[in-house]
Amino acid sequence: MSDEEYYKSIGFMCGLELHQRLATSRKLFCDCPTNIIDANGKENGMVSRYQRAIAGELGTVDISAGFEEQRRRRFVYKIPEGRSCLVEIDEEPPHDMNTDALHTVLSFAKAMNMNLVDEIQPMRKAVVDGSDPSAFQRTSMVAFDGFIEVNGQKVEIPSIFLEEESCRAESTKEQEITYEVDMLGVPLVEIDTWPYIRTPKEAKDIALYIGTMMRISGKVQRGIGSVRQDVNVSIKGGARVEMKGLQDIEFVDRYIENEVKRQQELLKIRDELKKRKASVGKVADLTKILKGTKARVVVNQLENKGIVVGFRLESFKGMLGREVLPNRRLGTEISDYAKSAGVKGIIHSDEDLYTYGFTEKEINSITKELKLGKDDSFIMIAGSKENAEKAAQFSIDRANYALIGVPLETRGVINDENYTTRFLRPLPGGSRMYPETDAKPINVTKEMIKAAEIEAPKIESEEAVLTKQLKDKSLAKRMMLSPKLQTYRMIVDSVDEPVFVANILLQRFTELRRAGFDVDSIGDERLIEMFDFYSKKKITKQAVEEILKYLSKKDQTIAAIVKEARLERISGAPLKKLVEEAKKKTKDKGQVIKEIMSTHRLNVDGSELNSLL
Amino acid sequence: MYSDEIETFLKSKGIKTGDRIRVEYSGVTIEGDLMPKTEAGRHDTIIVKLKSGYNVGIAFGNARITKMNGQAVEPGSSPKSKVKQDAKLPKISLIYTGGTIGNKIDYRTGGVYPLLKPEELLHEIPELSKIANITVKSPFSMASEDLSYAEWQKIAHEVASEINSGARGVVVTIGTDTMHYVSAALSFMLQDLNAPVVLTGAQRSSDRGSSDAFMNLICAAQLAAKSDIAEVGICMHRSSSDKECQFMRGTKVRKMHSSRRDAFRPINDSAIAFVTSDGKIDYNGHYKKIGKGKTTVKAGFENNVALIKVHPNSTPGIIDFYVDMGYKGIILEGTGLGHTPVGPSNKKGSWIPQIGGAIKKGVVIGMTTQTLYGRVNANVYTNLRKVSELGVVYCEDMLPETAYVKLGWLLGNYDAKKAKELLNRNIVGEINERIGYDEFLV
Repeated sequence: MSDEEYYKSIGFMCGLELHQRLATSRKLFCDCPTNIIDANGKENGMVSRYQRAIAGELGTVDISAGFEEQRRRRFVYKIPEGRSCLVEIDEEPPHDMNTDALHTVLSFAKAMNMNLVDEIQPMRKAVVDGSDPSAFQRTSMVAFDGFIEVNGQKVEIPSIFLEEESCRAESTKEQEITYEVDMLGVPLVEIDTWPYIRTPKEAKDIALYIGTMMRISGKVQRGIGSVRQDVNVSIKGGARVEMKGLQDIEFVDRYIENEVKRQQELLKIRDELKKRKASVGKVADLTKILKGTKARVVVNQLENKGIVVGFRLESFKGMLGREVLPNRRLGTEISDYAKSAGVKGIIHSDEDLYTYGFTEKEINSITKELKLGKDDSFIMIAGSKENAEKAAQFSIDRANYALIGVPLETRGVINDENYTTRFLRPLPGGSRMYPETDAKPINVTKEMIKAAEIEAPKIESEEAVLTKQLKDKSLAKRMMLSPKLQTYRMIVDSVDEPVFVANILLQRFTELRRAGFDVDSIGDERLIEMFDFYSKKKITKQAVEEILKYLSKKDQTIAAIVKEARLERISGAPLKKLVEEAKKKTKDKGQVIKEIMSTHRLNVDGSELNSLL
Repeated sequence: MYSDEIETFLKSKGIKTGDRIRVEYSGVTIEGDLMPKTEAGRHDTIIVKLKSGYNVGIAFGNARITKMNGQAVEPGSSPKSKVKQDAKLPKISLIYTGGTIGNKIDYRTGGVYPLLKPEELLHEIPELSKIANITVKSPFSMASEDLSYAEWQKIAHEVASEINSGARGVVVTIGTDTMHYVSAALSFMLQDLNAPVVLTGAQRSSDRGSSDAFMNLICAAQLAAKSDIAEVGICMHRSSSDKECQFMRGTKVRKMHSSRRDAFRPINDSAIAFVTSDGKIDYNGHYKKIGKGKTTVKAGFENNVALIKVHPNSTPGIIDFYVDMGYKGIILEGTGLGHTPVGPSNKKGSWIPQIGGAIKKGVVIGMTTQTLYGRVNANVYTNLRKVSELGVVYCEDMLPETAYVKLGWLLGNYDAKKAKELLNRNIVGEINERIGYDEFLV
């Protein structure tokens, strides 16, 4: 069975939401700069806030918003100096929308054959996880109903949005999340596909294509975090799950494959539980039973006036330990729900309770209290009264869902090598949009449409330009898909050796990366400076690679590196002198070259040397 | 509002706001709900809410619009479950008068409507019914820029009547822009005040999850229900964080920022108390305590009082203008210690003749400072003496707005002589004889 047939047979549905930060000079709704954060930047201060779930347009509170509100978390915002103003921290109304950002998005829309709306209506999308101090994200639909062609297949693009980047979470404590405000408000384009992507591989190809289209415009930010994919996946009998914030397009397919497997496993678990007529019990207080326990996971909580609660999982025996993703079991899935209520996790009976330090007597008492039969499991949660009770409720809800199948969830990436995800919050419903009354609607004029048509990035013509420069179709394609495309363009503006430049940025970079050199940390300005040295014949080709090694360890001027590593090119008269001296020793041309290169490999240009012989 | 052309068309097709419609234009079809048009933006587009929740504007001229079957959305109403009030809790009243604090968007009209019913308010902020047994009154609902002394008088009567019928405290929600004028007015109008009167509002409307309305209202309710302060004051965020609110004397407080949560600051004064959502009240300054007796109202107000800002190049003809208009009082916002130009190169620029003339005609003129912080002084410079010798009342450390309200109130209840005499005499805490070192920019 081909991939395509297999995924069709399991009712695979998959859609992408691609997010890309734009490289405008100022933010979308204020005049703060958008350049990447300076890690050593100073802070102006911090503010802390609480947020509430607000009824949407139809008078109902969105499920994910309601869930977040129940958690009652405190949000702390670190305010960086010079990179955010009162607008970001919700202390001043938005300024006018950044027209540069809008023009870029309009040009992307045109590149994807979309229909532009006549008047853009800024909206507020409720976000209650604190990632926006205003509790909403400003977002506008700019165009709809377009298409692109990927691998000869027509892929429909239903919508493109212009929105604001949210805050970066810096740290998360039990009831408090600290956010960095610097990136908040940077213009972000979102491009969606319909959920008709046929295979994980196709999802990756589409993501790559759209990413390339945006990148060749030269108007998007590069670097870590500047591009993200949200991927929606479901299978027959499963449910829509949104995996949020996948940063590396390379592994999009792996995450999708894993999510498919997770849903398949959850459905198998459901079938088994149904067969066993399993059910979930009610919460019981186990604090008294565990008074004086030595079990470490509980002791601390009890000492801090906490409680222990538990509930029975009838006929669940063995199921909590069933793996649904590499290294993640049904128990882990339930535990994530509990954790979202601010507890450390759950303790369940598919684990070895003795290693936790529970005694047989304690386990027997729990068994009695929860009326456990031999096929039953149970879950215990320790924490403050409020958190433990909330966590128990969340866990019971999730355990009940094991009998239904796959819960609708937003999941986040776990940064391990397994391409797995974990529960973040319930999938938001529809009741989270309302008009942004503080921002004016924007009239899309004929002039704007015309400009968008002219500026629309065209992959085919970009490929042709690169092929002409590099005289090699496959090298051209690799250059076009590379995140270094923009760097390449800037360099070949002044260095007339495109093939050399492309080879350095692609091949050499890959080799050095593999050898452990952090070449991706080298800034464009340094690279331009280095190639400038080269084109002015101050250094040789061989020295270029040497300089990259230096730069990947420490940022310093090329002049300083050249001096420190003695990389000055020996050329003209001094080289002639070297040749003459070598000729005194030998008449053989090959020997002369060998003689000189053995001591001056990095300083002498081979072709110049040849021309002197 | 849609243009007449669009309105006529919609009417002819029987399409109402909220109806499901199909729009075909330039080869594409979209479906969604017809949304109302706000004042902003083009007049020739219709606004459609797509299934995704996004609104888009489509040019009416190019579109073919048809009504679809299906239920129209019913926007605008918020859930109204019954909230139980606990009769054992302290009884307080909440007087709602409009402003950002109670704003909700009406998705049908696109306009903003206030939360009026106690159910709505208590539903939005369930914490309130755990603090006090709350009666909600709404004499009117107006934006604060539109409030006049007539509304101040209404509020004063409403507050007194609530206190006299058993409320141990009163919360007044009000638009923030002119809140410090209202707090000053209530401070003078309410006589023998015997309960905390807590004015509060919001800088972010309560239809957003980040609104400051929630904490402000909760803290205000805590003060009204628990504090023993018998003064009028403003309770708003102490800082930009949702940490605590501060209660500031009604005559010594001012909105010092157009949009920040912590816009209200005490001027030439310390906050009376700090209060947290969970009811911790930290008393910080001197205040009048709750005693016995009935609260009465002295609500007279003379509207012919002006507040004039002195500035470089300003001409004194403005005084003549007001005198000719029949004004009975003028508060000057002088520069520094209380100056007006008295000897400019252009002799006509001196304010001396006009001020002198107005005072002779019986107009009461008070001097405050546009520095807001600090006290005016009639003696330091010769130029100051020239002005004060004309009979201008130097209003100590009183805020210009407070002085303006006070003079209007004095002239509304007393004759000009008495008004002049009382203008720079402390009545309800509007003048501090001492200004503490730590009472600047706080």
